[in-house]
This record gives sequence, structure tokens and C-alpha cells, in this order.
Amino acid sequence: MNHFNKLTISSVFLTLLISIPAIILFTNIFSSSENWQHLVDTVLFEYIFNSLYIMLGVAFLTTLLGFSTAYITSLFTFTGSSFFHYALILPFAIPTYIVAYAYGGMFDITGTVTTFILDLLDKSLDEVYFMDIMSIQGAIIVMSLVLYPYVYLISKTYLKAESSSILDASKTIGFNNFQIFYKVILPISRPAIIAGVILAVMEAVADFGVMDYFGVSTFVTGIFRTWVGMGSVEDASKLASMLMLFIFILIFLERFQRRNKRYKSSGKDFKPISKQKLTGTSNIFAFIICFIPFFLGFLLPFSQMSYWFYLSYEEVIDEHFIAVLLQTLSLGLSSAFIITVLAFLIVYNVRLHKSRFTDNLTQIAKLGYSIPGAVVAVGILSFFAYLDKSFDILLSGSVLAVVFGYIVRFIAISINNYESGFSKIPTSYDDACSTMQIGKFQTFRKVVFPLIKSSMMASFIVVFIEVIKELPLTMVLRPFNFDTLAVLSHELVGQAQVYESAVPAMFIVSLGIVSVLILARKMVKD
Amino acid sequence: MFKKSVLSLLVLASSLIAASQVNIYSTRHYDTDKKLFKMFEEETGIKVNVVKAKAPALIKRIESEASKSPADVLITSDVAGLYKAKQKGLFQKVNSEYLNKNIPAKLKDQDNMWFGITKRSRVVVYRKNSEIKNDLSTYEDLADPKFKGKIMVRSSNNTYNQSLLAAIIAHHGEEYALKWAKGIVANMTKRPKGNDRYQVKAIAYKIGDIAIVNTYYIGKMIGNKNVSEAKAVEKVKVFFPKFENGGTHINISGAGLVKTAPNKENAVKFIEFLVSKKAQELFAIGNFEYPVLKSVAPSKIVESWGSFDDDTIAISLLGENNAKAVKIFDQAGWK
Repeated sequence: MNHFNKLTISSVFLTLLISIPAIILFTNIFSSSENWQHLVDTVLFEYIFNSLYIMLGVAFLTTLLGFSTAYITSLFTFTGSSFFHYALILPFAIPTYIVAYAYGGMFDITGTVTTFILDLLDKSLDEVYFMDIMSIQGAIIVMSLVLYPYVYLISKTYLKAESSSILDASKTIGFNNFQIFYKVILPISRPAIIAGVILAVMEAVADFGVMDYFGVSTFVTGIFRTWVGMGSVEDASKLASMLMLFIFILIFLERFQRRNKRYKSSGKDFKPISKQKLTGTSNIFAFIICFIPFFLGFLLPFSQMSYWFYLSYEEVIDEHFIAVLLQTLSLGLSSAFIITVLAFLIVYNVRLHKSRFTDNLTQIAKLGYSIPGAVVAVGILSFFAYLDKSFDILLSGSVLAVVFGYIVRFIAISINNYESGFSKIPTSYDDACSTMQIGKFQTFRKVVFPLIKSSMMASFIVVFIEVIKELPLTMVLRPFNFDTLAVLSHELVGQAQVYESAVPAMFIVSLGIVSVLILARKMVKD
Repeated sequence: MFKKSVLSLLVLASSLIAASQVNIYSTRHYDTDKKLFKMFEEETGIKVNVVKAKAPALIKRIESEASKSPADVLITSDVAGLYKAKQKGLFQKVNSEYLNKNIPAKLKDQDNMWFGITKRSRVVVYRKNSEIKNDLSTYEDLADPKFKGKIMVRSSNNTYNQSLLAAIIAHHGEEYALKWAKGIVANMTKRPKGNDRYQVKAIAYKIGDIAIVNTYYIGKMIGNKNVSEAKAVEKVKVFFPKFENGGTHINISGAGLVKTAPNKENAVKFIEFLVSKKAQELFAIGNFEYPVLKSVAPSKIVESWGSFDDDTIAISLLGENNAKAVKIFDQAGWK
């Protein structure tokens, strides 16, 4: 057996292992349960409607914000373009609950901005129209502001690998910039946009904090209500499996539709895109398009956070805090490393051995990202209960359990990054290497790795940020006396100390910013 | 092979940690509790290990860990979690004279498997000088059309609302509870959103006239760094409603002894400590909760809101009726 067969076997085994918690939850879809009829009669329709609404809304807004900015910063230079190049990723580093609190605190009917304007105008709330930010539309806006960097990042990596020959050709046939965007760039970028949008949508529908605070009923608030309030794990899992089914159908519809279309560049005459310099009105226009998501998604909530941080840091930072900071850092780095490597093995194996089975299995492994962390934890606990019995061990409450949880929950991010990255590398490369009798390891080292490096880097950073932000799964599976920054922040919010909670959150954001800067430098260098 | 040896190492390591310890699974995440655990460690030399998460998740974890669970004590912030854990057979009976003697019967499990450690009550706030005060009387009366468009209350996803409706069910039955919930929905100023503190703010800003909130949140808003909350809470006053044939609605945080507790003796000591005078004082002052121990007074701030008589129903009924309450909320359209 040569070691690539071993690769196949171990990667299939891995994918299976990662998929098990989702599969366990999924089996509940067939179980009969006592409260199901009640849910169907009362709230299920609303859960479905609202979740679909959020999915569509977030898909639309993240594409709009993420792709327009990726396109502009990839093809043009303009005032501030090198700044926006990395600044546009930053919103991703801010925990969503902070954005939700900040926006609620400013723009809600009791918000500082609203009341300030009302005082200024000397009018009451009935006389002036304010958009209700704490609503389903508000939730879509808040989620999109934090999640559009998925689309931005993946599209950007994708466009960078695009050859400028396609642009030259379009210009030759007389297309203007708008036509190039609309008729060429947008269609060829579809796989990247979809990869990013699917991640954004999965995370948006899996959110509990923002939806609960804004009073929006979704599948996920329903899952918790059923689980916590009705005490029914079965019905909650059944709702979770319906949600997974939704996402699964979505992924497959997209793949089915894409099946016969090839979006790969020819690979011949690769020439990086030379950026066009913008002047005058188009320069200002480009600046504004990039400034809006940066301002709303980062600068505004970040300023609010900084103010809260400034008022409370002295009370919050102590010895324990520093220990937690270091622990979070090492947990984030090691988990991001493990996930990035595992996802690579899985995706690369699918590419080398095109089998429908492994490909489908990989899609199942992604589902952990579409359901909330606490529910993923339930699937994992059920799985562990079985292992514990069979091997006479105790897995829950170990760091290993927590890391496994992160793998199940976040591997989708990494897989989507690779899938989009690999779709840019023609399989003819692999074929050429095998014709030339170059070993598969050499092919990987000399051909594949240099081309996939930036996807690998992007995956590492994004997963790192996700892990240090993660809360519910960590809480359920962690060992005794084990805290992370996100846990500290959550505890402070729970004690009505929203200002103090900004201190650990600020460190999460700072770690995020540092990693984003590293990523951006890397992208510039390449 | 490698994985297995790592795992056995982990198991070994955890069994070697401090001989004298007590392992707590808790849903309460307050600094007060941290201080208390430290006090207990200093006093007894028993190391306190804690995992904090939401109640159903911790219950699921104890279930799946089965006989190997390291958990000794489960602390939850409301009675529904304790009720559920008992129902699933995760608790055992505690034989403690101190607990039996000092905790009122209605604040503990009838089989002595769990005990209330603090109380909070769900009350009404209104704007100072508002004439609506004269209309306030019972919880039942809040569903009266005279309050149309005046009530602010959070989503029924929240346990405290579920407990309140569970109490209504205990007093009047499910049919009445549905009518009541529908009445409240009809009286709401806005679609339910935000947390309890948000409701208080809404009253202060004249968006609604009365809000249904928990007492300890009001305490936490006083002098809060968040100026808009600190200002808002100064504009409101607390009213303690009653049930027509009972007292003011209360819920408890409580602790139960896990069936498979590896450190049973320490665990009982620990629960007794939580109900000791010192601990009760800390709960009262640090977290604005009401002590379960009669000899300890609430904090000065809390006392200034006025006094009330606890509702008469056994607290375990709140746990028992919780699932029914959620279904009724769904039927009533209380989001």
C-alpha cells in the first residue's frame, strides 16, 4: 500500500469522524416526538419563514458589500486602496453581540443617537420615523456587516489568481469597466462568491445572541426554546436537523447547477492583473464604496468598544485575565493549525481521487457550521458517551474534546476556502505532473502548495478568529476551571456589565486585527 | 494508538489532581459566586473546580458522562433546571440536618434532592410620579384591557417569563393561563425584544408605562457604568404585584447533589456552605438577590423597594409547569 492510499483511507476516516455529531443529530429527523405537532401548529412556519428571510437578506447584503469591495480593491488603485485592502477584513474580528449591543445602544428607540436627535428636534418618537434596528431587518444588517468579509476574503483570493488576459480580451472587444464587471468578472467569480455567501449564511442562521436580543424568532431561537423551555432534546435536535437539511439542500443545489459549467481559467499565459489607477469622481466613488462597510462594520462598533474599554480596563485586567489571554491564544493557534491541515487533507484527497462518495461526505462534514455551537456540543456529547462506554475513558471535559468541537464546527470555513482555491488550479496541472512521472508528493510541494498557500493562510486566520470568538461549545465541553476571553466577556455581559465585557472582547478584536494584518501583508507580498 | 495513550494520560492526570476537592457544574456566572468558592476553599481546604454553561447543556453532559461524571454538585439559576435534572434521575438525596432545618419547605425539593440558595422576584416597574401606580394590583390584573399598549416585557424565550406563566398555571390552570398570556400580548407596547434592563429603559423613556422585570437587574442598573442605564433606573419605581390567592412571584437559584458524585461528603459541605449566614449575606449584597435564610436581610438597596410575601405555591411547580408554559406562549403568540 503506498502512502497515498493511506491518505485516502485516513482522510475518509477523518471526514467520517467529523461528520458523526451532525449525523447523530440528523437521525432525530425521523424520530417521533411529543411536541412536534405543537410546533407545527404554532411556530414552525414562522421559524422557517424568518430563517429563510435572514438567509436571503444576508446573502444579498454580504454579496453586495463583500464582492463590490473585493472587485474594486483587486482591480484598481485609488485613495486609501492599500489601507482598505486589509481594513475591509476587520469587521470579522468583532464579536456579533458587541455589534448588536452597540447598534441597539445607539439606534434603538431608547438609543443614545435616537434620543439625542429627538431632543435636538424637540419631537417625540411618534412624530419622527426611525428604522427599528432591533428587528429582523436590523438583525440582517448587523449580521451582514460582520460577515461580509467572508465574501470579500474568498473573492479577493480568487480574483488574485485570475489572469489579466481575460481583462485584456474584454477590453479588446470594447467593454467598459462596468461591462467588464457585469459580464466578465461577476460570472467568473461565482464559485468564490457562493463559497463566501454560504459561510456567511450558515453563520447567520446559527446565531442565537443577536436574534434573541432583537426579538427575532428563528430556527435557532426555536431550538433553544424547545430544548431549554420544553426540556425536549429530541424536538430541539429535530429542529436542528431540519435546519441542516435546509443548508444541505442549498449546498447541493448550488453544486448541481454548477456541475456542467467550468469557471477555471485556462492556466496558460498567467499574468497577474495590473491594477488600473482611478482618478476624479471614480476615485471618490471607490473610496466611498469601501469606506461604508469599514465604517459601519468596524469603526463605529470599535469606537464604542474602545470607549467602554477605556472606562473599565483597570478593573478587569488582572493576573487571571493574562493567563486566560495566553490560554485563548494557544488554543486558537493550535486549533487553527489542526483544522487547516485536516481540511487540506480532506479537500486534496477529494481532488486527487474524484469519488462521489468522498465528495458528498465532505459536504456533510461542513454541516457543523450551520447549527449553533451548543447543539453541535449535544451531538458531540452523544458521540462521546458511546466512545466512553466502549473504551472506558472520559472524553468530555478535556481540551481534546474542545478542540474536536472546534474541528466539527469550523472545518467548513477551511474546506470552503480550499475548494474555492483549488477550483482555480486546473486539474491538468496534476495530469501533466503525472505524465512527467513527478511523484505526488513532489507535485504537491512544487506545484500545488505554492498555488494554494494563500487559501491556506486565509483559512488559518479566519479559523483562528472564529475559535477565539467561540462561546457555547467551549462552555459545554471544557475542563474544570478553564476560561477563554469569549467566556469572560460573556460572563460580564450576563452580570449587566456590558462595558466591562468590552475588555476581553477588545483583546479578541486585537488578536483578530494582528492576524488580519499578517494575512494582508502576506497577500501583498505574494 | 497515540491518541489512546494521550487519552489515558488525560484521565490519569485528572484523577491525580488534589485529593480533597469538589466539582461544580454551574449555570450561575457571577463574581459573587467566584468569591464564595474562594471563601469555601480558604475555610475548608477543599479545592472548588467549576464548569459553567447553560442548564440543559450541563444536564446533557452529566447524562452522557454517566457513571464516570466528575460532577458533584449542579447549581442552576432557576428551578426549571433542578426539576429537569431530578426528573432525569441525576440527583440523590441529601441528609443534612442544617439544610432541612434552615431552608423553608417550599424552597426545596420534597425528597431533599435540591435546595434553593437564593431568591429573586419578578415585579413591575413604573415611572416615578406616574398615575398608573394606582391601577396596579395583581399579576392576573395585568392582562386587563385597561393596560392596553402599556406593558413592556421581554421575549418568552426567557426563563423568567416561563416561570411566571408556570406560576399562573399553578394558580389557575392552563386554560386561564392561555387567556392571561393573550391578554398580556394584547397589552404590549412593542413586540417583545431586549433584556430586562432594556424594558426598564423603555419605561424611563416613556415608550411603555409598566415593565415586567426581575428585581436583581434593577439593582445592577443602579450606579452602572452604562450611564443610560443608571439614569433610566432612577426614573422608575418598583411595585410588588401579588397573585389573587397568593404572594409575589419568586424563583430560586438552587443546588442539587449529583447521583454519581465522587466527592459526596465535600459536596454536602459545599451546599451547606452556600446556605450559611456568610454566603447568604454575600448573595444579598453582591448580587441583589433575596437570601433563603430567614436570619439574613436583603441588601439596603433591595430593602428600599419595599417588602413582600413570597407566593404560596411550592417552587417545584414552576419546574413542573415550565414546558406547558412554553407551549401556551406559542399558542398566545407571545414571541
